[in-house]
Amino acid sequence: MASAGNYAKIRRRIRNDRMYYAMFLPVLLFVLVFNYVPMLGVSLAFFKFTPFAQKFIGFDNFADLFFGIKSAHFWKAFGNTLFLSIGNLVLATVFSVVVALLLNELVSRKTKGFMQTVLYLPHFMSWVVVASIFTLILSPQGGLVNTILEKFGIEPTYFLAQKKWWTPIFLFIARWKETGWGTIIYLAALSGINPELYEAAEVDGAGKWKQVFLVTLPAITTTILIVFILNLGKVMNIFESVFVLQNPNVYDVGDVLTTFAYRVGVQQGNYGIGTAIDLFKSFIGLFLVLGTDAVNRKIRGSSVL
Amino acid sequence: MKEVFSFRNGRAPRSAFRILNAFIMLALLVTMLIPLLKVLSDSFDRTTVYGLNFWPRNWSIEAYKSIFVNPNLRKPLLVSIVTTVLGTALGLTMATLGAYVLRQRKLVGRNFFAKFIFITMIFNGGLIPTFLTLKTLGMTNTLWAVLLPASVNVFNMILMRNFFEQIPESLFESAEMDGATPPQVFRSIVLPLSTAALASIGLFFAVEYWNEFFRYVMYISDTDLYNFQIKLRDLILSEQNINDPAIVGHANMVKNAAVIVAMLPFFVIYPFAQRYFIAGVTMGAVKE
Repeated sequence: MASAGNYAKIRRRIRNDRMYYAMFLPVLLFVLVFNYVPMLGVSLAFFKFTPFAQKFIGFDNFADLFFGIKSAHFWKAFGNTLFLSIGNLVLATVFSVVVALLLNELVSRKTKGFMQTVLYLPHFMSWVVVASIFTLILSPQGGLVNTILEKFGIEPTYFLAQKKWWTPIFLFIARWKETGWGTIIYLAALSGINPELYEAAEVDGAGKWKQVFLVTLPAITTTILIVFILNLGKVMNIFESVFVLQNPNVYDVGDVLTTFAYRVGVQQGNYGIGTAIDLFKSFIGLFLVLGTDAVNRKIRGSSVL
Repeated sequence: MKEVFSFRNGRAPRSAFRILNAFIMLALLVTMLIPLLKVLSDSFDRTTVYGLNFWPRNWSIEAYKSIFVNPNLRKPLLVSIVTTVLGTALGLTMATLGAYVLRQRKLVGRNFFAKFIFITMIFNGGLIPTFLTLKTLGMTNTLWAVLLPASVNVFNMILMRNFFEQIPESLFESAEMDGATPPQVFRSIVLPLSTAALASIGLFFAVEYWNEFFRYVMYISDTDLYNFQIKLRDLILSEQNINDPAIVGHANMVKNAAVIVAMLPFFVIYPFAQRYFIAGVTMGAVKE
């Protein structure tokens, strides 16, 4: 119960600490303007924009997306979003865990350090830089890959403009860029495993493989799940990586909801439809995280969130 | 553990594993480095059609010269440098101020502030509402749209707060006893004790601002304000539409050189800075 005395006390404390509030003001202001004000704009999803006015149209934008002229492209982009980013997330988990396990087995600390340096490097390159590197390497005009293929008498191919090549190349490039960085968290988890566990396993006659499956993996399962579920929350946001690699030739396999929303919403000025796509995307993202966590809770009896 | 050679004790499988592992590492190394080396080599190579060589056949540094001389490319480079410097300074200011206040356990409303900020990690207005907000503020087609929104980075603020929380409470108490105001404590105790954190998180901000692409795509259409990343993408997608006659014949070389320049700053500092980056990541992972 807050008595008058308590109020006075709190008021005094606030006055005493006013410097802190003043120091926090810029942060608060920026968050308010750049994060909270746009949240109010979510209502745009329920409006129709014409050059001179906006009109409330309820769920018509969604109906338009789900069943209208744009629906074919919308559902395709939705499928691509799920496939590309969840595919990427699964590959990321597998590759980073395996590479972390292998790095952890390196005896020479120098080799390990060197490998880590090289593997982490592409994380700091922008997606534009990485896409540029591979656009050059895969170029049909004298790119490295096509030059090699030509030595074997194979005609040059414009890989990034072909539907059958685009998806595997996208997934490969994403792994090239981020596998190393992904190992950091697993390496940290691996270094926390008690070495006595391995000794005990060895005494019990467990070989290297058995040790991996009976000691190492169980010890880092929680880390793997946390990383997986946290990243699952971001899968619907996939934008830059796709945007810099896609071209109109491969929209069928390489257009995702964010790039679709960008073209429709920002470039063509259909703010209502663009926001509706965004909102739909956020709901799916939330659903994915809560759903996975629910499954995880059923299986392991504890939530990671 | 004793390491006596004996087939029965599993020494052989283990060494077989080590050899296999070495091969895998080698394959990884080649996969990581070949694309980079090829681009690096070609950036110095005047040859019009590249081959399988990893060393320039017609050595030339003209491509790099043209990047620094041709206003088409020099201007974006300057934009990148200026926004990176200003953005990092601004980002560090926000991160340290925010972290310092969030660290004050007894502050009335601290929990509210923390939640108010952390919520933005999960929820956001999305592409178009954010675009329209910035447009209403008159920030689209100005570099403010790039500098300001990116300066409050919740993740970096959490990292910074975790660093700050390692500073012993007694230092604060004795400073307060001596009558130091919060800004004084901030300036003379917190900041000097956090140079490692400032370096680490400063690097995070610098990488982010240098690599910024999304916000330029979204908010900036004025080509005079393009940064080097956007310019690089234009260059790569273009088929020799550079107007400078001195480099028309070397368009390929310029493309390769532009890639190198776009990642150069971090190649230079990365070997020294790696531990700061990793410190940042593991801090965040362990503490959260």
